[in-house]
Amino acid sequence: MPRDLMSPLDRLAAYGRGDAIDRLPCVPIVGNTAARVLGVKVSAFRGDGELIARAQIAAYRRFGYDNIRVFTDLYTQAEAMGARVHYPEDDTAYLAEPALGEVRDLARLRPADPLRDGNLPAHLEAARRVLEAVGKEVPVTAALTGPFTNASFLTGTENLVRLTLRDPETVHRLCEVSLQTNLAYAEAILATGATPSLTDPMSSSTVIGPRQFREFSLPYLARLVAFIRGHGRAVTLHICGRTRAVWQEMADTGAACLSLDDEVDLAEAKVLVGHRVRLMGNVSPSAVMLQGTPRGVRAAVRRVVAGAGDSPGGLVVASGCSLPTETPFANIDAMLDAVREIGHPFRCDALESHP
Amino acid sequence: MSDTDALFQELSDAVVEMDEVRAGELAQRAVAEGVDAYTAIDRGLVHGMMRASQLFEEEDYFIPELLLCSDAMYAGLAILQPHLRRDEHSQKPKVVIGVVEGDTHDIGKNLVKIMLDASGFEVIDLGRDIPPQAFVDAAVAAEARIVALSTLMTTTMEGMAEVVRLLESAGLRDRFKVMVGGGPISQAFATRIGADGYSANAAEAVRLAKRLVATSSSDAA
Repeated sequence: MPRDLMSPLDRLAAYGRGDAIDRLPCVPIVGNTAARVLGVKVSAFRGDGELIARAQIAAYRRFGYDNIRVFTDLYTQAEAMGARVHYPEDDTAYLAEPALGEVRDLARLRPADPLRDGNLPAHLEAARRVLEAVGKEVPVTAALTGPFTNASFLTGTENLVRLTLRDPETVHRLCEVSLQTNLAYAEAILATGATPSLTDPMSSSTVIGPRQFREFSLPYLARLVAFIRGHGRAVTLHICGRTRAVWQEMADTGAACLSLDDEVDLAEAKVLVGHRVRLMGNVSPSAVMLQGTPRGVRAAVRRVVAGAGDSPGGLVVASGCSLPTETPFANIDAMLDAVREIGHPFRCDALESHP
Repeated sequence: MSDTDALFQELSDAVVEMDEVRAGELAQRAVAEGVDAYTAIDRGLVHGMMRASQLFEEEDYFIPELLLCSDAMYAGLAILQPHLRRDEHSQKPKVVIGVVEGDTHDIGKNLVKIMLDASGFEVIDLGRDIPPQAFVDAAVAAEARIVALSTLMTTTMEGMAEVVRLLESAGLRDRFKVMVGGGPISQAFATRIGADGYSANAAEAVRLAKRLVATSSSDAA
């Protein structure tokens, strides 16, 4: 097995310049699996930035991937705005109740204060500590749930998607107050030295159509991305599910990298949008990474690289979405190992050994 | 086209055009004119919902449109259903549906419920965050033919396997068909836990449910 010869930061910088690299960047998107690396319960992350940082650093050192993302769940900003989140003892948190019982209470909603509200201060603390420890070798990001998705946690997804047709003005107000929270949180993340990493699953065409994306997702995402770019940072935008119909719009947000899941074909994304953005993806987090074997992971990585490894804007080999907590370590290792075997420039024999 | 046919077409159009008010008015008119309620539902409201489902599969409609179409369908159903003959109520195969415990994402489940409602099933909706035993109890109580399990989260997939295990240990496995669906679910997973079927979306779920009911009828024969 070839060993890594570059630090993630050096590798990504060289890749961006078109210089020689040892292998493609690779990011199995580790979230709460970090708890398994450290041997702590997932619920222990709640409000404990020091522990989140320790777990994320330990996971990065264990696997050697190319980006650390401070993340526990999608609900941190919505919770800071009043949504109720359920924290299972040892699994990823989920939304118990949206922030608003009735949409007419909307006027009461206030943007969150990231330095004070909910778990946001803990996540900022985690970002600071990760940067202190390993920021000189690896990019450090903090997950930020996008405006439309956060709005869905304020009023409930089904309610929100109905309102896109029945009461567009209310949806705009919900997205605007979400954006104000996003901007404040983004600014606080940037102040730690980390970069916000955007995730906006409800903007997927699995939920809303391209028409609604253009009206309710694109304008707010574009303002958020412009703000982050104004601080000199490149932005990754993750939307899972079906996204083909909105790839151009995702690039129109100004994002430098689109993180896509396994429901889309990266080879097709390469042709349609690969000259505008870097692509990131798209090994199935559930069927392959959680339930598959190391052999299956290697085959999936080879397919991804064969399909989009020559994308003009570059490729980050990644899982299609955050990895489930119980993803076997052997499968995460297999993803990195497959990328190491393929190397850069790609070793054809390593790519062609499809099972 | 006869006046009645025109009315059915208008009912269907009201559903496709997401016009809840119009669907209600047209249903009232059908009642007032003594049109057979079953036919008005079948050739009007349900016909419209099937067209909406087709548009959804063609990616012309998405979840927002499909939900509003269903609002129109239900508005019409609320008016027409009281006028069904008794025997038209009792024929439908029953499906117990819910989101497994530990998950509160229910849009996918709701879409499947809507499409099953429109396709001649009686749906008993348990809601979301439902413990495995509750599916079994509800299926027994309702004498359901199918238990339909949904989840969007990988953390709750094992809850689906638990439902199958509970049915087996209670000696009830043969009485119900189990179907599963949701973001992280695959045919391979369905097979591994011993479910009877997997579907990737709401339209497929209807086809699967119809197939499962057909096989369970022939099993019984």
